Amino acid sequence: MASLIICCFLVVLFSACHEVSSTSDQLCIEKEANKTYNCENLGLSEIPETLPNTTEFLEFSFNFLPTIQNTTFSRLIDLTFLDLTRCQINWIHDDTFQSHHQLSTLILTGNPLIFMAETAFNGPKSLKHLFLIQTGISSLEFIPPHNLENLESLHLGSNHISSIKLPNDFPAGNLKVLDFQNNAIHYFSREDVNSLKQATNLSLNFNGNDIKGIEPGAFSSQFFQSLNFGGTRDLSVIFSGLRNSTIQSLWLGTFEDIDNQYLSSATFQGLCDTSVESINLQKHHFSDFSSTTFRCFAQLQNLDLTATHLQELPSGIEGMNSLKKLVLNVNKFDQLCQINAANFPSLTHLYVKGNMKKLHLGTGCLEKLENLQKLDLSHSGIEASDCCNLQLKNLPRLQSLNLSYNELIGFQREAFQACPQLEILDLSFTHLHVSAPQSPFQNLHHLKILNLSHSFLDTSNQLLLAGLPDLRHLNLQGNRFQDGSIPKNNLLQTVGSLEILVLSSSDLLSIDQQAFHSLDKMSHVDLSHNNLTSNSIDALSHLKGIYLNLAANAIGIISPHLLSILSQQSTINLSHNPLDCTCSNIHFLTWYKENLQKLEDLEETVCANPPSLQGVQLSDVRLSCGITPVGILFLTVFFLLVSILLIFAIKFFLRWKYQHI
Amino acid sequence: MNGLAAALLVWTLISPSGGGHGGRGDMWPTHVACRNEGLEVFYQSCDPLQDFGFSVDQCSRKLQPHLSIRFGIILREDIRELFLDVLLLSKGASVLNFSYPICEDDLPKFSFCGRRKGEQVYYAGPVDNSSFDVPEGEYQVLLKLYNENHSTVACANVTVIAS
Repeated sequence: MASLIICCFLVVLFSACHEVSSTSDQLCIEKEANKTYNCENLGLSEIPETLPNTTEFLEFSFNFLPTIQNTTFSRLIDLTFLDLTRCQINWIHDDTFQSHHQLSTLILTGNPLIFMAETAFNGPKSLKHLFLIQTGISSLEFIPPHNLENLESLHLGSNHISSIKLPNDFPAGNLKVLDFQNNAIHYFSREDVNSLKQATNLSLNFNGNDIKGIEPGAFSSQFFQSLNFGGTRDLSVIFSGLRNSTIQSLWLGTFEDIDNQYLSSATFQGLCDTSVESINLQKHHFSDFSSTTFRCFAQLQNLDLTATHLQELPSGIEGMNSLKKLVLNVNKFDQLCQINAANFPSLTHLYVKGNMKKLHLGTGCLEKLENLQKLDLSHSGIEASDCCNLQLKNLPRLQSLNLSYNELIGFQREAFQACPQLEILDLSFTHLHVSAPQSPFQNLHHLKILNLSHSFLDTSNQLLLAGLPDLRHLNLQGNRFQDGSIPKNNLLQTVGSLEILVLSSSDLLSIDQQAFHSLDKMSHVDLSHNNLTSNSIDALSHLKGIYLNLAANAIGIISPHLLSILSQQSTINLSHNPLDCTCSNIHFLTWYKENLQKLEDLEETVCANPPSLQGVQLSDVRLSCGITPVGILFLTVFFLLVSILLIFAIKFFLRWKYQHI
Repeated sequence: MNGLAAALLVWTLISPSGGGHGGRGDMWPTHVACRNEGLEVFYQSCDPLQDFGFSVDQCSRKLQPHLSIRFGIILREDIRELFLDVLLLSKGASVLNFSYPICEDDLPKFSFCGRRKGEQVYYAGPVDNSSFDVPEGEYQVLLKLYNENHSTVACANVTVIAS
């Protein structure tokens, strides 16, 4: 019997324990006190009482609310953002949001809605964004139109909608984005498109609807900010259907999983009568690429031909004189000259990123592009032994050049004479070869940002960075220095205007005290992920008010004379260091607690030593080192007692010894 | 009497994990992605929040290019950008490790790119793999799909047995 009682007691005890743990499981995450909460994936069937009444942003997706009504959220009257994604909502009853005057975004994605009451959206003074993606809607009549006058975006993707015609009483006056992705829309009539007329500057998304027909003139004399017909198989239908309209941006790309349809000159016929500023044709195939294919692209400013299986562009293309931006990423060019750049004399931006073959830069292939400002040749397997004056011949206005993620590029002196206006140069993750003591960047008077991360630089070349009077931002991450140390005389001495310096992940063991002495404008120094000890902090003694990242180094003890250097900086990150939390580091530990507002990433700044404090946050460590006044008193009393005892003992000993004489 | 008490105790100890919602903390079942003479592929979801469905249409040790797959999942994150990490292990040693973009802002490769958190996605179509002969042996593959914020979209422990 007793054992049964004990067992029952245990049962009660265990079930109580589990109850406690399951309620603590259901706590929402506080992202911003009293304002932003995340209660995702908790299986809740009501709003937890722990949420404060002042909650404004509530992420409540993947919970369980089959019915929502005016009592469901009534306590949280300050809500501005409410995400109810996949909460298994079937019913939205009358006046559910009656008291939520501030509500501006409501997300109902992935709920199997059966019915929304006429007054479901009444209450909010300005409901701006409504998401009804994959809610089973087959007709726009399903959406109660009351109180939607302020709607700016309406997302209706992945439903069963076949017509875009808005109901007569639907207020579309402020609508800017209308998203019909992945529906069953195959045809537009004039009446359909006319129902959108109240909206100006509209962006319409029909991606994933295979459009088969457009009534002639349906879109005529209308203006659209953007139209997306992604994945439509027959583009000629779109081009002829859009006659006489004005479109800022037209997205007509296709995808890997959609059958090929070949584009020809005839496909684009309708474009001659349409005003379009930018077109995307990604992943299409061209059947007969000729100089007349782009005949109707005369007004076009931006053309995106990403992954269109191009091996070359024909010379003598007509009517591309006004093109400003051309994207030729992920194609199959052998030579840069095969893009026949002379076709596009007005070009300011050119992208040939991720070329699928090894791209040869050739000589002067872009020399007709006198207006070019931005050139991206990254990820294209480029190899060039003597770059870049011949390759980039005559690019007087080039401001931004990206050669990152290429194979091997060799530089001689003044390698960028051909583009003296360069402001940004990205060479990261490209193996660079510069024979010492050359200065490849000499005379780039306007260069402000230089990224040389992971470029296998010879950092012992002290003239490498000579001739860059305006350089503000230098990234040297992942480059090695001889013996893992930056000596007094180093390559940074020539770049006195530097404000941001990144030297992370460079296997550094030490930095000379004088290494940065010529750099007095620095405001941001990143030395993280090295093996530096606190001695290297001396190199920063002349700098004030900087952001200093020393995370993931080998800093254990920081001696008192270095604390004044840290004190004069504005933000410091010391996380992931083997910091010492014994009395030998007491000055630093005291300083740390007094300067918490300066320190970043406090949670990851933990003790490594002694073993008893391993993993404890530095801010939580309480050490008492040295002797306190009470201790001194006790010690004095103790010594006094001991000496009195000793005197008595000696006295007794002597008396005992001489008694026998 | 004692037996009853013990049973009661055991039940209380076990019940919270068994009766909890969604079976969280449990392992998801192992599914067969394809099985044929010579090649067997099993997978198990390693996303603690949910399982997913996956199958490969043709299954042979001589993998054909542009394999057709079927894939069904509920998105827990937006996939405006989506990346795949693959880690291939043979006998516990890492053989191959690569990362591949599936959806990018400037190149959405597949029609499902850009779909939103909460959407149920079913994809039946090709993947752009190259042809490949699977050498005999047993392989472990760790697949991870994640978005631009490094939030997990799907995670799978795959076992491939080629005999």
